[in-house]
Amino acid sequence: MSDSRGGSDDGTGEATRPDGGHPDATAAVDALDAVDGGPEVDAADSESAATAAAAETSTNDGVRGALRHVFVVAVTEYRLAVRSRWALALTALFVVFGGVMLTFSGSAVGPAGAERVVASLTSLAAYLVPLAALALGYDAIVGREEEGWLAVVFSLPVRRSEVVAGTYLGRLAVLAGATVLGFGFSGALIVREFGAGSLSAFLGFLGGTVGVGAAFLAVALLLSTVAREKTHALGAALLVWVWFVLVHDLLALGIVAATELPDAALSALVLSNPVSAFRVFVLSGLGTTAGGGFTAVLAGSGLSTVALAASLVAWTIVPVAVAARLVRRRRL
Amino acid sequence: MRIDASDVRKTYGDVTALDGLSLTVPSGSTFGIIGTNGAGKSTLFRLLVGHDRPDAGTVSVGGTDVTEDGRRIRERVGYLPEHVGFPDGLTGREVLGVHRAMRGLSKDGRTAEAIERVGLTADEADRRVSGYSNGMQRRLGLATVLLPDPDVLILDEPTAGLDPRGVDEFHAIVEEITSETDATVVFCSHVLGEVERLCDRAAVLHDGRVRAAGSVDELAAEAEAAADRDGDSATRSGRDRDGLRAAFREAVGDDAAHDARVGKGRADDATADREEVAP
Repeated sequence: MSDSRGGSDDGTGEATRPDGGHPDATAAVDALDAVDGGPEVDAADSESAATAAAAETSTNDGVRGALRHVFVVAVTEYRLAVRSRWALALTALFVVFGGVMLTFSGSAVGPAGAERVVASLTSLAAYLVPLAALALGYDAIVGREEEGWLAVVFSLPVRRSEVVAGTYLGRLAVLAGATVLGFGFSGALIVREFGAGSLSAFLGFLGGTVGVGAAFLAVALLLSTVAREKTHALGAALLVWVWFVLVHDLLALGIVAATELPDAALSALVLSNPVSAFRVFVLSGLGTTAGGGFTAVLAGSGLSTVALAASLVAWTIVPVAVAARLVRRRRL
Repeated sequence: MRIDASDVRKTYGDVTALDGLSLTVPSGSTFGIIGTNGAGKSTLFRLLVGHDRPDAGTVSVGGTDVTEDGRRIRERVGYLPEHVGFPDGLTGREVLGVHRAMRGLSKDGRTAEAIERVGLTADEADRRVSGYSNGMQRRLGLATVLLPDPDVLILDEPTAGLDPRGVDEFHAIVEEITSETDATVVFCSHVLGEVERLCDRAAVLHDGRVRAAGSVDELAAEAEAAADRDGDSATRSGRDRDGLRAAFREAVGDDAAHDARVGKGRADDATADREEVAP
């Protein structure tokens, strides 16, 4: 048997480590070994190897084992997303659209130019980021099942909820990284144009963008967990996008225009849509209503920044928790 | 490690998958489960690895009730489901690395050992799975379940979809494993020739129940005696009266045995192919 370990190439130009693994796999596995704290075992000593294996197996219990499972799944998902060019595509998307928005809104800037540009970026992100998050997450579970990988992972001594959590975190890392890098390009241009004073407004926008992306990724994960087929999950994801990004805002605006709503009802309308919460979160910090639509009406709804941030966190945690529970129903 | 199932019932909606199934798999044996589609084979395997709970009855692996802690069962069991696949973006070695990390196993050369055991070369293991043939994916699947040196191997139709040569090579790997380890191996198959070749014991499942069980030789002898007793010898070919095929026909009836006729043909093809490629 030929042995190509120690620098073989799989045809993709990615070098392998001395024992044949991928370099990013090396870091992950080394980190896992550090978490385990287990000693290296001499392969020649089969008896001690068996003893060590038994000891290691016992570490599958408890929080540390659960964290390891979540971490391994997350690293694997991240690696797969990077290799399938998802991370690159999303980053490029945010760079290009952010750059275009910056170019066109730049001509209209006045003394409050930085805030106006950030408000324009917020309008863009409100459409783009939810769509990107849903596209990234709709096949997270059902796609892996159709692939056959989910059955393989579930055959291991893991809880299904750990697999769901790891899948979410791995993809969230991809989305958050692309958001920070992609819109970070716009941020660098804003700071260069308007000075360091504009940084806080941009950072608020960036935080909100990561938050709304995390929320829609969580919703996509839930859809992927309950869908029987990938196409069903895709269709549901598109409907979710249409509802939250297009329809909900228009309906809410119509209701506000037609009736005298108390503040509590207005707040409920905002919090029931992560996109609205995101818009109000960012724009209220800018002191502008340039986002237009329902958000302009809600400038004085009385919701604090903390409440808006908490709603985005809730929109993230609740769908993931429900998905972690419902995944038990899948027959694998 | 011994496996016991006692009076197990499992239904999904209106469908009764297992209907009072009782079965014992002795420790260290190679046990074949044969049956037609819908006989309950995959449901039984899902129960054995704790993916599901029986509605009634008990299932234990190595004395541990599967309803108590499925994860603990899966620490000691290597389970290869029927429909497995791997992400295209991973190499075979990385797939094994994920398994090793998930199981918390140390780096002691067991990945390379598993790769070698299933007949993948180091070059193949370092290639992405997207370039793997069906046979190579099956080998990789087998390597993942061998990685922790399990006490029990459960293989759900492991040769489904393989070409005759792939089937034969897979059989050789399983034979090597059973001769080198004392692991209990349980696998299900439509192919009677496969069970005859690999197993020392077998059970015939039909409509969620065990219709016959015992050593392969015992099953064959009982079936032949029954055929003689019923005067069937004049209506059946000599081959039909021999071996597990007769036992299967006796247990499930002529109509239900049709699938096995197809299976037998595939096994024969594999044998012919082996003879053809042998030097």
